[in-house]
Amino acid sequence: MNDNIADLVDSRTGRQSRSIYASEDIYRQELERIFGRCWLFLVHTSQIPKPGDYFRTFMGEDDVIVIRQKDGSIKAFLNSCTHRGNRICRADRGNARAFTCNYHGWSFSPDGALAGVPLESEAYFGELDRTKFGLIPVTKVAEYKGLVFGCWDANSPSLDDYLGDAKFFLDVWLDAMPGGSALLGETQKMVLGTNWKLPVENVCGDGYHLGWAHAGAMAAVQSMDLTGLSVGNSGVDLDGGLSVAGMNGHMVLSALDGVSGYAFYPDPKPILEYLEANRQTVIDRLGEVRGRQVWGAQVNITIFPNLQLLPGLNWFRVYHPKGPTQIEQWTWAMAENDMPEAVKAQILENQCLTFGLAGLFDNDDGDNLTACTEQSRGWRTAQMDVYTNMALGRSGKREGFPGDIASGLVSEHNQRYFYRRWQEHMMAETWAEVPTYNINSLTDEEAEHA
Amino acid sequence: MLDRPLAPPPVEVIVAVTQALHREARLLDNEDLDGWLAMLGKDVSYRLELKSRRFRADRSPPFPLGPGVIFNEDLGRLKMRVDRLKSGFVWAEDPPNYIRRAVSNVEVLATRADNEVRVHSVLGMHRNRIDGTTRLLTAGRTDLWRSEGSAWLLAAREIVLDHSVLPDSNLNAFF
Ligand code: FES
Ligand SMILES: [Fe+2]
Repeated sequence: MNDNIADLVDSRTGRQSRSIYASEDIYRQELERIFGRCWLFLVHTSQIPKPGDYFRTFMGEDDVIVIRQKDGSIKAFLNSCTHRGNRICRADRGNARAFTCNYHGWSFSPDGALAGVPLESEAYFGELDRTKFGLIPVTKVAEYKGLVFGCWDANSPSLDDYLGDAKFFLDVWLDAMPGGSALLGETQKMVLGTNWKLPVENVCGDGYHLGWAHAGAMAAVQSMDLTGLSVGNSGVDLDGGLSVAGMNGHMVLSALDGVSGYAFYPDPKPILEYLEANRQTVIDRLGEVRGRQVWGAQVNITIFPNLQLLPGLNWFRVYHPKGPTQIEQWTWAMAENDMPEAVKAQILENQCLTFGLAGLFDNDDGDNLTACTEQSRGWRTAQMDVYTNMALGRSGKREGFPGDIASGLVSEHNQRYFYRRWQEHMMAETWAEVPTYNINSLTDEEAEHA
Repeated sequence: MLDRPLAPPPVEVIVAVTQALHREARLLDNEDLDGWLAMLGKDVSYRLELKSRRFRADRSPPFPLGPGVIFNEDLGRLKMRVDRLKSGFVWAEDPPNYIRRAVSNVEVLATRADNEVRVHSVLGMHRNRIDGTTRLLTAGRTDLWRSEGSAWLLAAREIVLDHSVLPDSNLNAFF
């Protein structure tokens, strides 16, 4: 299989074999080597604030339940009964003192312990060792400033090392203001007939599609100039933004104007006032570059493999694979806790308007991703390649930023790094074989004074 | 003031409002979006809230800012959506998708206001998309219709969508 994987992607030329979007064999290997190995986003701490609060999600195709404990810590378990395997929790979220299986009535406490077994003495003759039948815990659970991740691989790097230099950009949301961050609203769930890599590729680096695929929405709602992009792809300015990659497979697109994240708000005024009122605080906390140029700008952050967040547009999204050609896309609105309630409400409202289930922008992407997937399933198309070869070799260091950086939001630089990371994981038998790289890393001091 | 049960609306009103629902569905099916906008009151509210699947006995409180929405539109926002659809740039609608709406379970109820009725209905929406697949979306609707001059106009609509995961790649369509 590894020889085969070596042929499927060539990040020097930007080539991908279309079979990676449709092959069942490749997908099974992804479940093992990517979703079974990487740190995967589980929940934001704001979504399960109180003891007993739980949230159901997926790690790859494995159904998982994440539970806030009595002591405030967070644990995660397979959502599967240890008796005969039934799903124990069928709700999306809530608060519970115990989880009782519908099949034979075993019940589990929030810490995963098997707390009750019907007819334990009569039918099991008291011989069942309950300690051996607790819920199966996710191997590692860790938090980075409100974002809770889980990982099945005991030999993975720490979450901190896994995120690496992407933290420089994550902090622009998570740590810009002293109150931290939160996700808002119920989960916006949609089924898409796409391979999971295509939406990740789209958001991680594809500024190219914005002016064309979203021309209708841009014409209808754009309230200000979004740096470097124009409706109908009629022009592009590469000076106002960056495509940042080379950070352990994580990628960032960032405008540098400090406001354009809100370019798709019909009424951006209250939010622009919040930004300007707090600009100095953020500069003091994160330095000039991030405080003045990045905070408030259009920023797309991708955490490998399946998490994407766009501070500014304020949507936060996970893609759960459901076979090689299907996903469930889950979206929430993101806010800073220091925002006035009215601003948070406006963010939730606007996120739903632009990138919700009837989102003016979001509704343009689904069919393109689906069709790219379908056009990889034919006898002939499956033998073909596709390319992300825009602006090959035009990247380097930029003062004040970590990463290998290409100029502008329109480039295919980030996508090449995404597929490179995909290939690195797919070829590695164990974590020890997966390379770690944070290209052009900044020292703490450089980051602060940037 | 004592609440007395309201008498049912006159048969002519029930017929007129039911006909308005059918006409509305036909205009939308035919993509006569301006004709549809003309059936809306100036103060129209058009809403579809998000929800989650919860245990009946769940004790967790509602979110302080609410669940979020799929639609929370006034007339200006609906016009903006229509402008987008008419921009000629919405590639997902060209060639057109085949959409057919069936309105059913119509109940027309009186309100305290003489010129307004509360209307419950069920909408089934068949979408045969350009991608070759067909989806059937169903939704419940609770409306307020108001008579203005000779016409009945939609003043408010609360939609409840019967899908916990949207089984389609867009909602470029009105319920
Ligand atoms: S499968 Fe859960 S109690 Fe038997
Ligand atoms: Fe897009």
